This record gives sequence, structure tokens and C-alpha cells, in this order.
Amino acid sequence: MAHAAGQTIDRWNGGVCPFDAGWRKVMMWWFIVTDGLLFAGFLASYGYARILAFHWPNQSSVFSLPYIAAMTFVLITSSATMASAVDATRRSRLRASLPFVLLTAAGGAVFLGMQAFEWRHLIEAGARLNTNPWGDASFGAYFFLLTGFHGLHVLTGVTVLATTAVRLAKGLSTAEGVEMAGLYWHFVDLVWVFIFTLFYLV
Amino acid sequence: MRIYWITWAVLLVFTVVMLWADGAAIPRAAFLVFMIAAMLTKASIIAGNFMHLRSERAGLVATVVIGLLVTGLVLYVLIAPDAARIHTMVGAQ
Repeated sequence: MAHAAGQTIDRWNGGVCPFDAGWRKVMMWWFIVTDGLLFAGFLASYGYARILAFHWPNQSSVFSLPYIAAMTFVLITSSATMASAVDATRRSRLRASLPFVLLTAAGGAVFLGMQAFEWRHLIEAGARLNTNPWGDASFGAYFFLLTGFHGLHVLTGVTVLATTAVRLAKGLSTAEGVEMAGLYWHFVDLVWVFIFTLFYLV
Repeated sequence: MRIYWITWAVLLVFTVVMLWADGAAIPRAAFLVFMIAAMLTKASIIAGNFMHLRSERAGLVATVVIGLLVTGLVLYVLIAPDAARIHTMVGAQ
């Protein structure tokens, strides 16, 4: 079906461009799907261990949930600033997006600092990969695996955002570049929604 | 830009309600259903509004959402009964 101006677009008919998106965006979505599947595997494995375990620790007695909620607040806020940055670039205001990108990177750095503090607290309390003082032995392994792998993604995101900020300041970055950094950052936030619910609350 | 900060506020409200539910005396099954529903709603809001999936073509949306949800579900549904069976067998010994 050819698309004439003003004609309703058939959202299933892409013709020679099925997703109606540039290759960078399509590849970023492919990356997000495959990386998401990796996290899905981790979380399914964690679910398996939870069902098997007879003495899974009570999370509210191990973690400070208000502290974890504060980490969540930081990440959600950084996602909102990133969306604002992308919005600015879509309005052809590339330079105006710079403060938002910097704020997002700062949010990511704060999140990493808070996570490092949480890790230190748990390690001092006796949590290890193969043992912990609260219950099932695999609890420590899943805690370090899930939060560590997510933390690595946050670290990567902060690096990407810092690079994007430098390129924006030099006038080298494009609107698409900021959008790709944004997609990645929102994915990091999205994964945290699952970890926060399934590991810390349920 | 307003939509992003409204989304931010909605996500925060969901987070606070989930924290409240965690401390409330709710039956375990209802608690699990509520938490998973809230989690999936939050994820949909982030993907739809922040990642602009709402304005992408249906083909891209279907590829991403079906790819992730179905694979995640299959992963869990296939192994969860096995874990429950082993749990029951070990508990009986």
C-alpha cells in the first residue's frame, strides 16, 4: 500500500522499510531485545532458585528498602532527564539537550555510588557468592550477579552519556546519537524495574 | 516535555505503592499478582513513553514485546514446575 500525504498509514505495512526506522535505531532495539533476554535468563534462573529454596532470606530484614527505593528514585529521575534531552534534540535544540544529558550521567553516577555502598554494607555483614548469614546459600550469588550485571550496564551507560555530552559540547553529536544513548539508558531503567520488584520486594 | 515528567510522577507513585504493599498484610497470592501487575505496568510505561515505543511501527513493537515477553514466559513456565517438583521431593525426605 503506497502512502499518500494525509492518508492513514497502515502500521503493519512497511514496504521496503518494515520498521520505518533507521538502521541505528533498529540495531539498538535488537541489542535491547537480546540483552533483555540475557536478563530474562538470569531472572528465570533466580526464580528457579527461589522455588527450590527452603529458607530464602526475608528481604526487608537484609536490605534497607527505603534506601533501595531512593536508588530507584534516582534512576527514574535520570530517565526523565534523558527523555527531556531526547525531546530537546527532536526540536532541533541539540545544545539545549546538553544539561539534561549531564544530569542523566550524574544520576547514573549517584546510583552507582549508592550501589557500591550497598555492596560494601552486605559484604561487611558476611554476604559472599557462596554463603551468607541470612538463609539460602544462593541468595548472595543472585544478589551479586543480578545487581552487579545491572551495575555494569549503568557504568556503560554513564560512559556513553559522558561521551555524548562531550560530543554535544563540541557540536559533533547528532539528534540520532542522543536518541540512541537515551534508548540504552531507558533500557537500564527498565531492567531495574524487574530487579527491584522480583529481587527486593517479592 | 510535560509528558515525561508526568510519566516520572506516575512511576514514583507506583514505586511508593509497591513499597507500601510490601509492608502491608496482604495474602501472598494477591501480593504476587499485584506486584507483577505493577511491575509490568511500570515497564510498559517506560517502554511506551520514555522509549517512544508507542509511536513506533506495530511490527517493531510486536517484535520487541512478543520477543521478550514470550521468551521470558517460556523460560519461566518450562523450569518453574521442575523446581517445584524438586522442592516437594526434597521436602518429603
